[in-house]
Amino acid sequence: MAAVLHGDDHGHGHGGGFVENEVIYQETRDMRLLGFVLFLMSDVVLFSAFIFAYLYLRGTVPVWPPMMNGTQLPRLDVAFAAVNSIVLFGSGVTMHYALENWKHGKRGEFDFWMLSTIVLGTAFLGGQAYEYAHAQIGGWSGSIFGASFFTLTGMHGFHVFVGVVFLAVLWWQTKKGVYDETHHFGLTAGTLYWHFVDVIWVALFYLFYIF
Amino acid sequence: MAVATRTSAPHAVLDHIHPEPESFVRKYVFSIDHKVIGIQYMVVGLIFFVIAGLLAEVIRVQLLHPDGRFLGGEQYNQVYSMHGSAMVWLVIIPLVTGGFGNFIMPLMIGARDVAFPWLNMASFWMFPPAGLLLFGSFLIGAPDAGWTEYPPISLLGPPGTSMWCAAIFLIGISSTLTGINFLVTILKMRAPGMTFTRMPLFVWAQVATAALSMVATTALAGALAALFIERQFGVPFYDPAKGGSPLLWQHMFWFYSHPAVYIMILPAFGIISEVLPTFARKPIFGYKMIAFSSVAIALLGFMVWAHHMFTSGMVPWLQLPFMILTMIVAIPTGVKIFGWVATLWGGSIHFSSAMLFAVGFILTFTLGGITGVYLAAVPVDLHAHGTYFIVAHFHYVLFGGSVFGIFAGLYYWWPKITGRMMNETLGKWHFWAAFISFNCTFLPMHWLGLLGMPRRVAVYDPQFTFWNQFASVSSFVLAASTLLLFYNMANSLARGKKAGPNPWGGRTLEWMISSPPPYYNFKKVPAVLGLPYDFGNPLPYLGLDNPQAEAATPSQTGQPAAAH
Repeated sequence: MAAVLHGDDHGHGHGGGFVENEVIYQETRDMRLLGFVLFLMSDVVLFSAFIFAYLYLRGTVPVWPPMMNGTQLPRLDVAFAAVNSIVLFGSGVTMHYALENWKHGKRGEFDFWMLSTIVLGTAFLGGQAYEYAHAQIGGWSGSIFGASFFTLTGMHGFHVFVGVVFLAVLWWQTKKGVYDETHHFGLTAGTLYWHFVDVIWVALFYLFYIF
Repeated sequence: MAVATRTSAPHAVLDHIHPEPESFVRKYVFSIDHKVIGIQYMVVGLIFFVIAGLLAEVIRVQLLHPDGRFLGGEQYNQVYSMHGSAMVWLVIIPLVTGGFGNFIMPLMIGARDVAFPWLNMASFWMFPPAGLLLFGSFLIGAPDAGWTEYPPISLLGPPGTSMWCAAIFLIGISSTLTGINFLVTILKMRAPGMTFTRMPLFVWAQVATAALSMVATTALAGALAALFIERQFGVPFYDPAKGGSPLLWQHMFWFYSHPAVYIMILPAFGIISEVLPTFARKPIFGYKMIAFSSVAIALLGFMVWAHHMFTSGMVPWLQLPFMILTMIVAIPTGVKIFGWVATLWGGSIHFSSAMLFAVGFILTFTLGGITGVYLAAVPVDLHAHGTYFIVAHFHYVLFGGSVFGIFAGLYYWWPKITGRMMNETLGKWHFWAAFISFNCTFLPMHWLGLLGMPRRVAVYDPQFTFWNQFASVSSFVLAASTLLLFYNMANSLARGKKAGPNPWGGRTLEWMISSPPPYYNFKKVPAVLGLPYDFGNPLPYLGLDNPQAEAATPSQTGQPAAAH
């Protein structure tokens, strides 16, 4: 059966020549890239739904932060969050350099920037944990402030956590020789995902700490 | 012959054939073949259709008597909530996208599979667990606030309401992934020469549907996640007692669920647009208008959600734009209906079972569409909201529309899917029984509603008794008529006549290969020279691997074949 399928087929198929395999790789990569971008777009809708919920609930109360048990809740600590944001944005920069260095075959530099990204991402999660422990807004279920803040930043934090694991797996894959200078779809996807997480944080930082 | 040169250019993914798996599990259970996955969706979807249909009959048994002697109010609430949820998420959406979309769409664009076969398998395998989770909620107290599950009632509902959230969330993820998969497939894997304006209309419908499910479903996932965590952890989103807003749910829910209406109907439009030209032996009238109107409906679908909330207390000045935008949806829909009717005009019509359901679809869907325009008008909606008029309206668009579309598609593509013919006489009996009993069931609901009978009640005013009994008896006939379909299917599988590649004389690519299609679909991917619907002209394909179909294609010199 297999012989029938693989013969008489313009010579493509398994064990085709270098050019054929390269074309297959390029077309497959294009499809995976489009699929991944569409996935990120649907993820944007998920965040947008919760951001809509937050703004809608915020519009239903006369003052913000809202009242809870007769007293107004305090605002969040913008200084600490700003430092933590810089850590996350910094990791976006290091990720950019990681991918660029990989494309140019500089494996040593790649390792440095990639591991920096993973360390900065983890540091951001640590900072967020610290902030959760010290936020005086009445907890997750206390008020609509806590509900929207902890749900949205928690969802974002979960995305960062998944991203850190994703990058760690990618780094391990580079050691296993899965990618080379021109064939590195995984690294491209990882970089896209990491920048996506950054961009979402820009919106959340503005909406919760500044707005 | 610019296209001919493109066929010889390397198109490696298209020409790349994987060997067929040989183990039972990889072939029939965890298969990554779009055709097997499509059949899996259809089988599971039809099983859920039977369960959801029986729930509907329970509703009708209850309504035989004005004082409702069959169920208590609590159980009645659970039954209609589950009937609605199951029909929307476990029957219609999976059948039209996962079922027909999976089996037919890749064949129509000349592809060997969808873009991400593994993801496709993962999408399917979220579907049966979601169904078990949904129906399993009966064990611990099923949701009882209707399929829309408005808070605060849903916050106070039985424990099964949280299972409902989880089930719909799961089916939502599945639907989003399928949407992404189909969009990439259609954008990247069409046969050479198949430009956007040469795509079959069913494929156009799938593009619009895939985009809708990709964007809208994640918004529903957000709303469901919030409802779930509010129920389980007391986190305030919707509960007004804790500062939340019940209206927030309605906005988030309808931002998904209105587009979901189009997710359910657009693929049915696509099926009708394939069946009509084949059995009228005429090119579809206004191909581009029908194709673009699908996209227009999909875009408008995102801007009309608040017409479900006219009575929920919204700012009065917002009602006007939502009313006008909703009425505008009738324009692209009307374009389609005129296109279909004009296709029939002067055609040499062959009333097969599929064609009967397609023509029946035009009648019933048009009626449902017209009542939709009534309901879009704020003053009418204020009167009819929450009555049986609404129930009549959405059963005309969802049963008379989507489900009739599914029936048409089943009769039309059954020979392609199974390689065997169904009994046409039985099929016609099925149509007439279903069409008449459908109208007898749901037509009286229009006036029941306008006279003031509210929906979702277990008991009703005795003045409505006659028409309720009439509707109930008709609905039993409707249920029985579906048995004709199931018997026909079983009979065809056991001893149906062999179908051959193209029993209906269709011209889209799926008819150019054997029935059922081989594992790899197309041994050589054909080139597409034009629209599939030009009946009377030679087939617009080059390089088909079926010699019979090949005979009808123009030769390399452009001479029409004599056989045609």
